[in-house]
Amino acid sequence: MNERLTKLKDRLKVDKYPICLEKASLILDSYKQTEGLPTVLRRAMSTAHYLDHKSIFIEDGELLVGNVASLPMGMEAGSLGPTWPEEDLDDLKKGSLYISPEDETRLRAMDSYWLGQGRTLDERQGLYYDDDHLWPFIKSGILCPPWNRKEQGRGPGTAGVGWGLGIGLSLILPDYAKVINEGLNKVIGDARAELTNLRYTDTEAIKKADFLKATVIAFEAIVRIGKRFGDLASGMAREEKDSVRKNELQRIAETCYRVPGEPAGTFREAMQSFWFYWMMVASGTTPGGRFDQFMYPFYKKDREMGRINDHEVLELLECLRIKIMHFNFINGGKEQRDKWAGIARWHNFVIGGVTPDGADATNELSYLILEAALDCQTPHHTITVRVHDKTPEELMIKALEVVRTGIGMPAFISDNSYLDFLTSQGVSMVEARDYALAGCLDVNLPGKSRINAFGMFVVPRIFEITMNNGVEPKTGVQLGPKTGEFASFETFDDFMKAFKEQLCFFMSLTNEEHNILLQAQRDLYPDVVHSALMVDAIKVGKDALDRALPFENGSALNMVGMINVADSMAVVKKLVFEERKVSKKDLHAALAANWEGYEDIRRMCLAVPKFGNGDAFVDSIACELYRFWADTSNSFRSIYGATVKPTAISITAHAPGGSMTGATPDGRYAGDSLPDGSMSPSQGMDLNGPTGVIRSAVAVDQSSYQATLLNMKFHPTALQSTDDLRKLSGLIKTYFKNGGKHIQFNVVDQETLLKAQKNPERYRDLIVRVAGYSTYFTILNKAVQDEIIERAEHRSTV
Amino acid sequence: MTNLSAVEGMIFNVQHYCIHDGPGIRTTVFMKGCPLRCLWCQNPESHSMCHQIFFTAEKCAGCGKCIPACPIGAIHIQDGKAVTNRNLCQSCGVCTTVCLHEARNMMGTRVSAGEVFNKIEQDKIFYEESGGGATLSGGEPLFQSEFAASVLSLCKKAGIHTALETSGYARWDILQLVLPYVDLLLFDLKHMDPSEHQKCTGVSNELIKDNVIRIYHQQKKPVIIRIPVIPGYNDSLENIEATAEFVACKLGASVPVNLLPFHRLGESKNERMGVQGLLFNSIPPSEQHLKELKEIFVSHGLTVQIGG
Ligand code: SF4
Ligand code: SF4
Repeated sequence: MNERLTKLKDRLKVDKYPICLEKASLILDSYKQTEGLPTVLRRAMSTAHYLDHKSIFIEDGELLVGNVASLPMGMEAGSLGPTWPEEDLDDLKKGSLYISPEDETRLRAMDSYWLGQGRTLDERQGLYYDDDHLWPFIKSGILCPPWNRKEQGRGPGTAGVGWGLGIGLSLILPDYAKVINEGLNKVIGDARAELTNLRYTDTEAIKKADFLKATVIAFEAIVRIGKRFGDLASGMAREEKDSVRKNELQRIAETCYRVPGEPAGTFREAMQSFWFYWMMVASGTTPGGRFDQFMYPFYKKDREMGRINDHEVLELLECLRIKIMHFNFINGGKEQRDKWAGIARWHNFVIGGVTPDGADATNELSYLILEAALDCQTPHHTITVRVHDKTPEELMIKALEVVRTGIGMPAFISDNSYLDFLTSQGVSMVEARDYALAGCLDVNLPGKSRINAFGMFVVPRIFEITMNNGVEPKTGVQLGPKTGEFASFETFDDFMKAFKEQLCFFMSLTNEEHNILLQAQRDLYPDVVHSALMVDAIKVGKDALDRALPFENGSALNMVGMINVADSMAVVKKLVFEERKVSKKDLHAALAANWEGYEDIRRMCLAVPKFGNGDAFVDSIACELYRFWADTSNSFRSIYGATVKPTAISITAHAPGGSMTGATPDGRYAGDSLPDGSMSPSQGMDLNGPTGVIRSAVAVDQSSYQATLLNMKFHPTALQSTDDLRKLSGLIKTYFKNGGKHIQFNVVDQETLLKAQKNPERYRDLIVRVAGYSTYFTILNKAVQDEIIERAEHRSTV
Repeated sequence: MTNLSAVEGMIFNVQHYCIHDGPGIRTTVFMKGCPLRCLWCQNPESHSMCHQIFFTAEKCAGCGKCIPACPIGAIHIQDGKAVTNRNLCQSCGVCTTVCLHEARNMMGTRVSAGEVFNKIEQDKIFYEESGGGATLSGGEPLFQSEFAASVLSLCKKAGIHTALETSGYARWDILQLVLPYVDLLLFDLKHMDPSEHQKCTGVSNELIKDNVIRIYHQQKKPVIIRIPVIPGYNDSLENIEATAEFVACKLGASVPVNLLPFHRLGESKNERMGVQGLLFNSIPPSEQHLKELKEIFVSHGLTVQIGG
C-alpha cells in the first residue's frame, strides 16, 4: 500500500461507529408531505429529497468520492421502520455503536410514525400469521430466527444503509455495465420518451406512468448529487495549497460533473460512476457483479492510450476497498444479529469465469483485483473466483496467495455446476455464462433475476419432531402431522417416510411465509433505483418486485443442518434397524436426557460412519435427503408463478439453529452448533482429511441447488510454498470436476484464534471467514468464535 | 503366483492429502517396524511390529471404566489418570472399546495389501488432477518388503504414481524386490560419519550410502534426498558439507535435496505409548541456521528446499 492508502486504511480503525440521523429525518420529512401519493412516487420523492439535502464531504486523500453517512465511519439509521427497543440499543451501545443522548431521543421520537400503522414489513407479515395456522410455526424458530411477537418479526432496528431506500430483503444484481456504459441520463431520457407516448387507456398504463415519473424524479436527483460533488471538489481545489492534491481534486470535479449522468469515458470515471450508483443500491448485501468484466473495456482503452498505469489502477481498486469499508451495516434484533454474526455484509465481487462464447474470461483486472485484496487487506468487499476447465493455473495460484494471508477470500465456485443449474432452469447457455452472485453464493443474472434474504430452515428440528410424532419436544406443542411414535416404526424406510412427510409439511408452511413476505415487499418497497435498470424496465414500466423476471428465482428454500440429519439417519438405520444394537426406546430416552446416563449409546452413535469421510453408507443417505429437499422445493410456486429454488447456505444460522435444537442421534449434544455450510461435515467428524470431505460432498447432486457451501480450514503449514498452493488448486479443481459447487478456506492457526479470543484488542485485524463472508474475528460472538476454533484443522503431514 | 491383494502387513495410519511426501496430492501409508532407532524419531509408534496401546492422558477423565474391562488387570488409576502396566498388557484392545473419552487407542492394524490399496485408490481423482499418488512411509517400509511390494505393485497396475520413503537400510536383494514398483524414492541421509550414524540411529551408514548410489545410477530411479536437521546431532557445518559433497559428487547435482527441520512431535508420542525415549536433547533449528545450511548445498550446485 502506498502512503495514501495506509492513511485511508488507518482511519478505518474506530472504536465506535457513530449512528447518524440525517437520512432518517429527511426521509420522514418527505414522507409526511406525500401521504396520499402512490408509494412508488413517494419513495422516489423522498430519495430525491435526501440526495438534495444530504451533507457531503470529501476526505483527505480520497480519489473515489461519495461519503456514505453524514459522519466519517458513521451509519445512517434505517428509514424503513422503528429503531431498536431500549435494551437492544443499550446492548449495541455497549458494543460497537455510538449515539448521543439527544440523537437517541430524536430517533426514538420517529418510532411513532412506524409503530402500529401497518407501515413495516413485520406488521404486514404478521397480519397473516393466524394462530391456528402459521403462527405456531413462525414462533417455533424452525425458520430461524424465531418471532416473539406478531408485529415484530426479525426484530426492528437497522443502521448503515446506502443512499437509496432499498427493496426490503430482496437482493438484485443490477446491470452495472449499463449504468457505466450508457449513463443515467439515458435512463431519464428513455423514461421521458416512454411517458410522451403513453396513453391512459387502462390501469396498467396509469401505474406505468407512476413508475416512469418516479424514475425521472429519482434519477435526476442521482445525477444532481454527482454535480454537487463536482462543485465541492472544484471548490476544494481552489483552496488547496498542495499542487498535487489540487490537481487530483480538479480531476475529481471533472469526473463528477460527468458521471453518473453521462457514459464513463475512462477507467477512473467508470470507478466513480460505479460508486455513485452502488451507494444508491447499497444495503447490507450488495453484489459487485462481474467486476473484472464490465470494467475491463475501460481499463484496456486507458492502458492502450497510456492514460493510466497498473499502479494507478491498483490504487483505485484499493480506494474502492476502503470506500466499501466506510459502509457498515447492522440489522435486526439480537437473534437476527446472532444469525448474521458480526457486522455481516456480503458484497460479493466475482472474477474469472467465461465469456458469452465460453472462452476463458480472465484478464489483467482479475489479477489486479486479487492484488488489491492482498495489498489492502480489508474484510470487504469479498471476492469469488469462477473456476472452469480453462481457468489459468496462474489465477488459481494468485487467488490462493490471497487465501494464504488468512483473510478468508476469495471463495471458489464451479462454472460447471452453476451453469448446469441455470440451463436446467431454462436459461440459455449464453445468458447463463454471464452469471454472478448475490448474497453469499446465490446465483443471479445481472438485471434479470433476484434472490431474497429469507429465514433459514433448521432441518434437525424436523428430525426431532418426527421422533416425537409431530410434537416439538421442548414445548410439547403438536406442530406437525401425526406420523407415528418412534417406537412404532417397523422399518427404517417407514421412519424415513415419516420424516419426509414432516419435512414436506414444514417446507410448505415456509413457502407460505415466503409468499407473504414477497407480497408485503411488493406493496411496501417499490424502488425505481433498482427497477429502472432491470432488463426492458422502461418498456415494461413495472417495478422489479411487481414483475416476474426472466430468470425468476425470487423464492428459494434455504436449509441448515441437513448433514446432522444424514448422520442421524445413518445411526438410526444401522444401530436401531439393521444391527438392532440400540433399542428405539433407549435411543429416544438418551436423546431426551441429552445423553446423560447414556454415554455408552452415544459412543456407539459416534462410531457410526459420518458424512465427510467418503463413506458410501452415510453419503448415500445425505444424497437422498438433498435430492428430496431439491425435488420438494421445485414442487412449490412463488407469488411470481415460478418454481421455488432449493438452496443450501448457512449464513452462520448453524450456531443459533443448533442452540434451539435438542440432542440428535449423530452424537450431538442439545444446543451444540450444527455444521456450517451445507457440504461441510459436522465439526470434528471428518477424520480422513480434505479428500474424504470432498468425496462425501460430491456424492450429493449439487447442480440442482442454487447454492451450496463447503468450508475448509487449513493450518498455515499446509500453504507455505507455491507448490503447496498448486496442490490446493488441484484439490479445488478435482472437487469441481466431480460435481462440487463451492469451496472456501480459513487459514489461521488455532493458537492465534485462542489468543485473539482472550485479547481481542490486540487482534483487531484478524480476519476469518464465517459462512459466505469475511469479518473481523474479534467482533464475532463467542459461540461463533468457539465454533471456528473447533472446526477441524487439516494439517498436512510435515 | 501369489495373490497380491491377500498379502498382509502391519500399518499404523493411512493419511490422505499429504502434500509434503512427493509430488502432487498423495496418500501416505505409515507402516510398522523399523530396524533403526533414530534418537529423534518422530514416529516411535512405528518401531515395533506389534499392536500397542496409545494413551492420550489429556483426554483421560479418570473414570476407571477401563479397569474392569481389562482381562488381566493391567490398568490402575494414578493421579486421576489410567496407567497401563506395559509389562502385563497383552495389547488385546478391549479397553479401547469401553473408553468414552477416546483416551485409549490401538496403534497398529493388520491389513491386507488389497485393503490398503482400496484406501489409496479412493483418492485417485485427486492424484490425476495434481500429479500425485501413493507414498509408503513408516517406520521402514522395507521392513515388510513383501507387503510393501504388493501394495506398490497394485498401485502401479492401477496407474497410480508411487513413492517410497526409506532409510535405505536394507539388503540389496530386499530392495530389488520392491524397486520395480517404485517411481520415486525419498531417501534419508542422516549422517555422513559411520560411527556418528551408528550413535544416532543404531546402525552404520555404509549399506545406506551404497544403496543410494546403486539405486540412482544403476537402477536409474529418481531420488530426492531428505536430511533431518537435528541440532547438536547432525547439523554441524562439517557434516552438512560432507553430505552436500556426497550428493553432488556421488549422485549428481540434479538430485533435489530437502532439509527437514526437527520438531518435537515424537516426544509426546513416546510418553503415550509408555515407552522410555532414548536419551536425547535437541531443539528445533533456527531459520537463520537453516538458511546457512541451505547455502552449503547451493554452493555445490544443488537444488534444496526447506521442508518436504
Ligand atoms: S482411559 Fe478412558 S476409560 Fe480409562 S479411566 Fe481414562 S477415561 Fe476412563
Ligand atoms: S489392551 Fe488389553 S491387556 Fe492391554 S490394557 Fe487394554 S484391555 Fe488390558
